[in-house]
Amino acid sequence: MLAEARWPEDGDGRAPALPGFVHSEFAPLVAAVAERCLARRYGSGPLPAGNRTAVLVVSASGDTAGAAHVRATVAAGGRVGPLFFFQSVPNSVAGHVAARWGLDGPVVCLSPTGDPRAEAEAEAELLRHDGDAAQALLILIELAPDGTPGEATAVLLGEGTRQ
Amino acid sequence: MADRDLVRITGTHAVSALGRGADALLAGVLTGAPAFNPVRRFDTTGRRVTVAATLPETGTLADELTDAIDHVVRVAGLGAADRAGAALFLATHGGPPSLPVPDRAPEPTVPALADHLASRCGLGGRTRVYTTACVSASTAVADAAALIRRGDLERVVVAAGYLVEPDQFALFDAGRALAADGAVRPFSAGRTGLLLGDGVAAVVLESADVAARRGAETVATVAGWGRAGDAYHPCQPHPGGDGLARAVEAALRRAGLPLGAVGYVNANATGTAFSDASEAAALRRVFGERAGRFPVSSTKSVHGHALEASGLLELVVTVLALRDGTLPPTAGWLAADPDCPLDVIRDAPRPAASGHALTLNAAFGGANTALLVSAP
Repeated sequence: MLAEARWPEDGDGRAPALPGFVHSEFAPLVAAVAERCLARRYGSGPLPAGNRTAVLVVSASGDTAGAAHVRATVAAGGRVGPLFFFQSVPNSVAGHVAARWGLDGPVVCLSPTGDPRAEAEAEAELLRHDGDAAQALLILIELAPDGTPGEATAVLLGEGTRQ
Repeated sequence: MADRDLVRITGTHAVSALGRGADALLAGVLTGAPAFNPVRRFDTTGRRVTVAATLPETGTLADELTDAIDHVVRVAGLGAADRAGAALFLATHGGPPSLPVPDRAPEPTVPALADHLASRCGLGGRTRVYTTACVSASTAVADAAALIRRGDLERVVVAAGYLVEPDQFALFDAGRALAADGAVRPFSAGRTGLLLGDGVAAVVLESADVAARRGAETVATVAGWGRAGDAYHPCQPHPGGDGLARAVEAALRRAGLPLGAVGYVNANATGTAFSDASEAAALRRVFGERAGRFPVSSTKSVHGHALEASGLLELVVTVLALRDGTLPPTAGWLAADPDCPLDVIRDAPRPAASGHALTLNAAFGGANTALLVSAP
């Protein structure tokens, strides 16, 4: 393991707002925990091209807050805002993290059927064995069901691509 | 036996607006007649676009997936004992269950859906759920192939499903992603966007040894695969097709095949201006001048974009086209676009000149996949 981070850690409040992402804590939490994890290994980034760092987002329930807002708006006959389209899949914030840090390995999102970390680590191991990835940033994220902020963990695994 | 012969597809099944069954899918795409019609499944009042490719009389997504898995294991000739050791890799939208859902019949949550399907269909191996947007299914196939080639698994059923429902329809409409003129025109001048379509598909992947031991017919081999990211933007593809080009190169490398072996590309091309141009750039980057000399089509112009299921629906199209020896056309063509200098099949099917084909997919987040399949 090259680095690990959580959100929240001691002293943390809500994750900072993320431009372009609205209404839900999902994307801000992913971005904040990824930033903290990668900064612990690489400072300010980005990584050089060809780093083959995969981004794996693992969440059983996904962006429940965003999806609930869309469902309620549509059920009421309303129009959803266009930003909800761009954040409608976990890939979007994974792509934000990849673009910010130059992570050019595969992007994979999983909804775990067993232990989330074990599934994420198994996917990372497969991508590295297969050669499409040299290292992998795992992001485990669940929103709290009661509307309070959720929790996220980020883990960087791999051979240690140098900045 | 070469490495590229080690992973076999021994069964295929698909449901789309073109009908039920893989044969209906192939027959439909070979006609080149788009399946888009006004949506009657839910109210589209107030939407900019009101058409999609939907199959009348569909069940819930869970029921359709159950039926697809049951069907494909029968087609592949798998008995109860064969099923018991099979893994299930599922590709579908994450988050709350997709509609349509009867009011009084709650659907299982997405992680529970895989276990629910495995239990109902007698699949006793591991389950995994991919929610990687429009490369969910193709990533599942790549992972399944990698695990089979490495010897970790002998048999994987990959299933994927998307049925057009009001929430995603509203989101795509709000994002102005849908074709305002009601037609999908991949790689063509004047293209205005994508249209959604139903897609529920399932395939059986097996190691060559296991398939041979039980005398299973090989539909196609999964000879190579690649997955790569653009590191460019949350939603837009790299203009030069950077990640997709690396995915194609990885698929060719794994297959051990030269550039000249590829005789067809089933493109991701959604009919979106910048996305299709990015894909054409990726093919030019990998194949150079040769990119304009092999046939390319996007069958999304006929069956629509099945989102998380698109990679599997288009894999089934590609392997059946190879087996049939006939390549499907692209509908909606108006005129050539200088940003897409490819040999796009249009108007009528073409005979296949090679037994090797690529099927490409790309998604938000700069996620890209390439699957290289070969006729047996």
